[in-house]
Amino acid sequence: MKYFRIIWKNCMRNKRRTILTILSVGFSLFLVTFLRTLMVEFSRTNETPTAVRRIAVHRSTSLQEDMPEAYRKRIETVQDVEQVVGMDWFGGIYKEPKNFFANFAVEHEDFFDVFPEVRLDTAVKQAFFAQRSAAFCGVKLAERFGWKVGDKVTLLGTIYPADLEFILVGFYTSAVDERTFYFRRDYMQEALGKPGKVGVFFVLARSLETTPRVIERIDSMFRNTDAETLSETERAFQAGFQTMMGNVQGLVLSIMSVVVFMILLVVGNAMAMSIRERSHEIAIMKSLGFQNESLIGILLSESLLISLMGGIVGCFGAIVLFRTIDMTRLSQGFLQQFQVEPLTLALGFCVALGVGIISGGLPAVHVVRLTVSDGLRRVG
Amino acid sequence: MAIPLKYNIRNLFVRKVSTAMTVFSISLVVAVFMALMALATGMDKTFTSSGDPRNVLVIRKSAQVETNSTVRKSEYQIIRYLPGIDTGANGQPQLSPEVIVLLNIPRRGEQLGANVIVRGVGPEGFELRPQLRMVKGRLFRPGLREMIVSLNIAGRFQNTDVGNQMKFGKGMWTVVGHFDASRTAFDSEMWADVDELVNEFGREGYSSLLLRSRDPKAQRELISQIDGDRRLSVEAFSEREYYDKQTIAAIGIKTLATLMTIFMGIGACFAAMNTMYAAVSNRTREIGTMRAIGFSRASILLSFLIEAVLLALVGGAVGCLLALPINGITTGSANFSTFSEVTYNFRITFPLIATALALSGFLGVIGGFLPARTAARQPIIEALRSM
Repeated sequence: MKYFRIIWKNCMRNKRRTILTILSVGFSLFLVTFLRTLMVEFSRTNETPTAVRRIAVHRSTSLQEDMPEAYRKRIETVQDVEQVVGMDWFGGIYKEPKNFFANFAVEHEDFFDVFPEVRLDTAVKQAFFAQRSAAFCGVKLAERFGWKVGDKVTLLGTIYPADLEFILVGFYTSAVDERTFYFRRDYMQEALGKPGKVGVFFVLARSLETTPRVIERIDSMFRNTDAETLSETERAFQAGFQTMMGNVQGLVLSIMSVVVFMILLVVGNAMAMSIRERSHEIAIMKSLGFQNESLIGILLSESLLISLMGGIVGCFGAIVLFRTIDMTRLSQGFLQQFQVEPLTLALGFCVALGVGIISGGLPAVHVVRLTVSDGLRRVG
Repeated sequence: MAIPLKYNIRNLFVRKVSTAMTVFSISLVVAVFMALMALATGMDKTFTSSGDPRNVLVIRKSAQVETNSTVRKSEYQIIRYLPGIDTGANGQPQLSPEVIVLLNIPRRGEQLGANVIVRGVGPEGFELRPQLRMVKGRLFRPGLREMIVSLNIAGRFQNTDVGNQMKFGKGMWTVVGHFDASRTAFDSEMWADVDELVNEFGREGYSSLLLRSRDPKAQRELISQIDGDRRLSVEAFSEREYYDKQTIAAIGIKTLATLMTIFMGIGACFAAMNTMYAAVSNRTREIGTMRAIGFSRASILLSFLIEAVLLALVGGAVGCLLALPINGITTGSANFSTFSEVTYNFRITFPLIATALALSGFLGVIGGFLPARTAARQPIIEALRSM
């Protein structure tokens, strides 16, 4: 690295240009980081040991239709089924539609066995079991609306014709999501006049290996009835929601490649300009005995230095930004975690590296190929 | 006196490579902006063109959307005989009881599917929506398990060709025709006979009622009468208003478009600044000469600013051209308020093109101002002396 001084001096020769280029790369790489994090966010799945054993059973028509409550007893008899819990997506609105959050009616006795990642204090759990109108929610959701234990919360029914009032008995913590609202199914059934219908059964299979068989057994049990079921692993169930959104991956990927191409143009232009201005002195260096390889190396290191600094600005800027601002609140609950993955960071720097090599390499090779006399003759 | 425009145009051609690269990077920003906004515009237009101003839609109170709603048959009987509803050629009130069933079907070439709306319509349903016309096959017959499918849905989902059968509810349903609904929300639906569908799914009532009011005054009266009737637990909206509210579905894309444009725009601005600074420093002597001849500081400033805007506008135009081929392409995504697939076309409109060009001009002004000021501020003597 004996040439470091000259590389640094060259970078600093036109400070304004260097800074503008670094910032331009920075903003673009921020976007690359943002888009890739968005993609990760959309394809995130719950991989806890219990989650991979969970199976969602719902009507094959669509989630809009429901199943008789009696299905539960029949599912329990299926071989390798450990536990069953019935749940309904209530779709309730808290005050206004824009305060959207997920809210479920759950069969309280079995819920915690099937969803052990939802952690609640024993005292809170007892309070939940003791009172019909009890409800609990994730700590982050409580934070969003400033709820405290004992608060009364009313949800307006959109799907079900009932507005329900709940008493909050506590807040759960979880490694997966802390923004969901849970309440007791028996309370909702009572308010609706006991229609005896269930939206989704979550079934815990005895082991990961037995899940395909359990799925097959449940579905064949209800085949040719009025309410046929479709069972799928929780992972497939969630993937179903993601495909509903359409080809988001394709959209994001194509925008990302456009952004990368733009960075290439910006840095390429800046490097071409500064190398052209310097063709005179490169010719002098050549005549002093500098080898082509070391000249290309010097110019290449300069563009690498600039684009990598842009990478630092963009990628680390993204990390800091997503940590400091509450993306969940900003997106009204749409984005849940939104943290930059190490792989995303690596991708950002690979892009910076590639851009540095291509954008510095091409003009460098071009100018170094000029003969000394041609180079000296060049002006401006 | 102003410096002739020709001077700027010629200068842009002198630095061909640099000009092309800057133009291209601005065009990429504009193209991304155009593509995303065309997507959002297409989605918005689908909804805003769906409702007929004379129609009134009735759904259950606080259901928000048809898919969540239930309207009892007793309520249908009350509303059917309200005054103010237009009568059709057959003397019957123009009112269609409808039921919505979401059906999860796999997309073409994929295992996984999405929810598609199956709408059961009454006999008046077609007259209430004149934008819908059959393009292939025939209408379904009442009392049979038959349905018609929109062309958009048929192009995107399996088992939707004319003659295909699908199992849902209690039996096999046959697709008997394809329709086109002139780029409205109905282009994302399948239609069948309402009574057949209600029986098939054991529904206790309808999902919604659609009716035609006699005139705007009758419409206002009908809506307030329905909303105020204590026997009814329903709400009435003008159909147009109902669909206008669903444009919220495009908000995600609009947010993404804004974010992308801001950040890519800043990046491109810096690139334009680099190019313009280089232009100014290469032409220091020229600037000095022009000042010496008698051009004022203001005309130098203006000249360089014009050059930057010109550069950016060319970029904007190229960006528009790059984005143009996507116009009209059909795509689809989820409408989360109805929890179903909505299909729409990318729509590049004239206001959108104008916005994109204005955006590129703005990028030019921002990127060009500082370099132009530097040019204008140069002292004449020093400028003339520089190499």
